Amino acid sequence: MSDATRSHKAKKFLERLPKKLSRQIVGSLVGCVHCGMCTQSCHYMLSNPEDPTFAPAHKADQLRKIFKRHIDWTGRVFPWWVSAKSVFTDSELEDLKDIAFGKCTNCRRCTFNCPMGVDFASANRTLRGLLVHVGVMPEGVAVVSKDQWEIGNQMGVLKEDYIETLEWMSDELSGELGDAGARIPIDVKNAAVVYSINPREVKYDPRSISDAAKIFWAARENWCMPSECWDMTNFGLFSGDDDLGGAAGRRLFEKVMELKGRKLVISECGHGYRSTRCEAQNWAGQSFPVDMESSVITMLRYIKEGRIKVDKAKNKESYTFHDSCNNARSCGLTEEPRELLNLVAPDFREMHPNRAENYCCTGGGGAMSMSEYTPRRLKSAKIKAEQLKATGATVVVTSCHNCVDGLSDLIKHYKLDMKVTQLVNLVAEALVIPAKVAAPAAGKVLALAGRTIMVVDDEPDALTFFSALLADHGARTIPVSDPNEVLKAARKEKPDLITLDISMPGKDGGEVLCELRKNPETEAIKVCVITGRPELRKLIYDRTVRPPEGYLDKPVDEAKLLTNVRKILELAHEDVPVES
Amino acid sequence: MTEKKIKDTTLRLVRGDIAAMEVDAFVFYARPDLQLGSGFGTAITQRGGPAVKKELEKLGPVATGSAVVTAAGEMKCKRIIHAVGPRFQEEDEERKLREVMRASLKKAEEGGVKTLAFPPMGTGFYGITLDLCRKVMLDELRRHLEGPTALREVSIVVKDSREQTPFEEAFKSL
Repeated sequence: MSDATRSHKAKKFLERLPKKLSRQIVGSLVGCVHCGMCTQSCHYMLSNPEDPTFAPAHKADQLRKIFKRHIDWTGRVFPWWVSAKSVFTDSELEDLKDIAFGKCTNCRRCTFNCPMGVDFASANRTLRGLLVHVGVMPEGVAVVSKDQWEIGNQMGVLKEDYIETLEWMSDELSGELGDAGARIPIDVKNAAVVYSINPREVKYDPRSISDAAKIFWAARENWCMPSECWDMTNFGLFSGDDDLGGAAGRRLFEKVMELKGRKLVISECGHGYRSTRCEAQNWAGQSFPVDMESSVITMLRYIKEGRIKVDKAKNKESYTFHDSCNNARSCGLTEEPRELLNLVAPDFREMHPNRAENYCCTGGGGAMSMSEYTPRRLKSAKIKAEQLKATGATVVVTSCHNCVDGLSDLIKHYKLDMKVTQLVNLVAEALVIPAKVAAPAAGKVLALAGRTIMVVDDEPDALTFFSALLADHGARTIPVSDPNEVLKAARKEKPDLITLDISMPGKDGGEVLCELRKNPETEAIKVCVITGRPELRKLIYDRTVRPPEGYLDKPVDEAKLLTNVRKILELAHEDVPVES
Repeated sequence: MTEKKIKDTTLRLVRGDIAAMEVDAFVFYARPDLQLGSGFGTAITQRGGPAVKKELEKLGPVATGSAVVTAAGEMKCKRIIHAVGPRFQEEDEERKLREVMRASLKKAEEGGVKTLAFPPMGTGFYGITLDLCRKVMLDELRRHLEGPTALREVSIVVKDSREQTPFEEAFKSL
C-alpha cells in the first residue's frame, strides 16, 4: 500500500488526526509501557481472559501505531522499531470501528489503574471521533447522533410528545396528591431550579419524572422544566464528536440562561452529568454562567434542610448501590448517593469493589445503542453479574439511566433475582406526605375499569403475570399465546389495547403488528410492545405501518406496566381510593 | 428574525423546527437510499405517517446532488423535497453541495412552490462546516432568486445559536 492508493476516507481520517490530539491524548499515546496492569482492570478482559485483543493496551495500540507513523518522530524515523503503522483502506477503518465501539465502553477503570497515567478511554474516544468524522460508525450510533443533532434529544422525542407527557404526569400528580397546584411548571422565568432530564424518562420511564415532580412539590420548590432544549444527555461523549458535544451542551445552557434559572439540576444520569457538568463547555469552547448540580445532591439537600421528610421503612427490600462510571470515576460523585440511600432505605449492602473501582454496568459508552455487539457485551458482563450476586441484595440502585438499562439486561441474561431502581424512585417512595393530602384508606375505583386489554405472549408465565396484573387493576383481559390467533381475536373482541411480545414462534410481533395495522377493523387499536429482546426492536420500527403506541423492555414490574398502559390509554389516575 | 429582499422574494433566517413549518415545501437532507432514518426523518415518520415512506420506496436510490419530491402525509407542509447532498467529508463536497441546492430549487420551481424552507444543508451530523454551508447556500439562493422565480418566501431554518450566529453574519453581506 502507498500514499497514492490510500482511500479517500483514510486520507480524511489522517488529515483530522492532528486536530484531535490534545496534550492529554498525546501523553497517553506516548506514555504506555505495556506493563499489563490494565488487563486486570477491564471487564471485557476479565470476562474473556483467553482473548488478548480485549486488553486496553492492545486496543489503544491501534491508534498509537497510527499516531507513531504520522505524528511522533520515532515512528517517522524508525517505523519498524516502534510498530508504527498507517491506515490505507476502508476495510481497515471498519476494523478500527470494531475495536473502538465494540470492545470498550470508555468506562475508564483501566485509566484509574494505570501506573503511567495513560487515559485509554480518552484515546478510544478520540479514535471514535476520527471514525465518526468520516462516517464510519455503528448504525445505532448514527441513529442516536442524528436524533440529537436534529431533534435536540437522543431519542428523537418530538416537542409535542414531550409536552403531552409532562401534562399527563401533572394530571396524575395532582390527582394522587389531591392538590390541583401539584403540576410540572414549564418555562417559568427566574425559577430556583430548572430540571433537565434524559429522554429515556419521557419515552420509557415517565415515573421517574413524576417522582422528581413529587419531590419538588413536597419541598415547595420554585422549579420548572424547559419546553425545549431539555435533554441533559450528550451523545458526543460516546461518539467522540466534540461538535455534537458542544452543540448539545450549548442548547441546554442557553435555555437555562434564557429562563434566567438560578440553578440547573441534572436528573440521575452518569454520562449526562459528566457531559453537562464537566465536559460540554470545553467542547463548545465557551464558558456559560450556569450553576448546576446533580439531582442526587438536590434531594440530599432537601432532606438535610428539612424541606422534605422521609420514612426509610417504606422501602422494604435490601439494596446495593452501583456507581456509574461517569459519576464515580470522572466526577467524584460517590459519597452523596450513599448518604442519600442510607437516609431512605434501612438495608444497604455495599458492593465490592465500589466507587471509582466499581465495574462498568457494561452498557456504557453508548453500548446499548449498538445491537451488533450485544452478545459480546453480555458475555463481558459476567464479572458484573458475579459482583451483583455477591451483594445478596434484591435491588440494585444506580444514579444513571444508562446503567439501569445495562444492568437490567445483564440481570435478565444471567438470571439474577434482582431489580434495578434509581434514588429518585426510593426518595419519592419514602416521602412523608402532609396529612391533609394523604389518601384515605377505603374502597377503590380501579384505574383500568371498563377497559379491555389483549395480552399476547408465547411464554405462559408472562401471559399469566401480565393478565393477572392488569385484571387486578380492573381491566377485562384476553390472553392469547398463539400469534396466528391475534388478528382473529382482535376483530372479535375489539380491545382498547394489545400488549405484544416480539419474539414468538411461527410469527414475530412485527408481522402481527403489520396485520393489525393493515386491517381496517383493527388498525386503530393501540399496541404496546413488551419484549425481552430489545435487539429485535427493528422488526417493529423498520416497517411502513404506524409504530406501536408504547414500548417496554422486560423485565416489567407492576408500576412500570401500569404507568405505561395508563399513558397509552390516556388514563390520568391510578386506582383511586373512595370513602365508604 | 433576519431577512433580506432579493427582487420579489423574501429570504429569511428563522429559528425553529423545520419539520413543523406551514410552508409549501421544506427540504430534507436525505440519504442516497432515501431511507428516512432518524433526526428530521423521525419527525417526518411520526408527524407525516407511513405515506411518505411508502412513496419513497418507489423513488430511491438516487445519486448525490439530486432531489426528489414527495407529499408530506399529515404534516403541516404540503410537500417534502428530499435532497441528497454530500456526507462525511466525501470528495468534491462543495460542488455536490451546490448541485443539490440547485436540484432542490429546480424541484421547487417545477412544483410551483411559493414558500420554501431549507435547513443549514449538511451541517451537524453530516459534517459540512457552517462556513462552507452558509457560503454555498447564500450564493446559490441569491443566484437563483435574482432570476425568474415563483418563490415568494425562502426560509433558512436554524435550530440554535451555533447555526444562527454565522448565518446572521453572512446575511449582512448579502
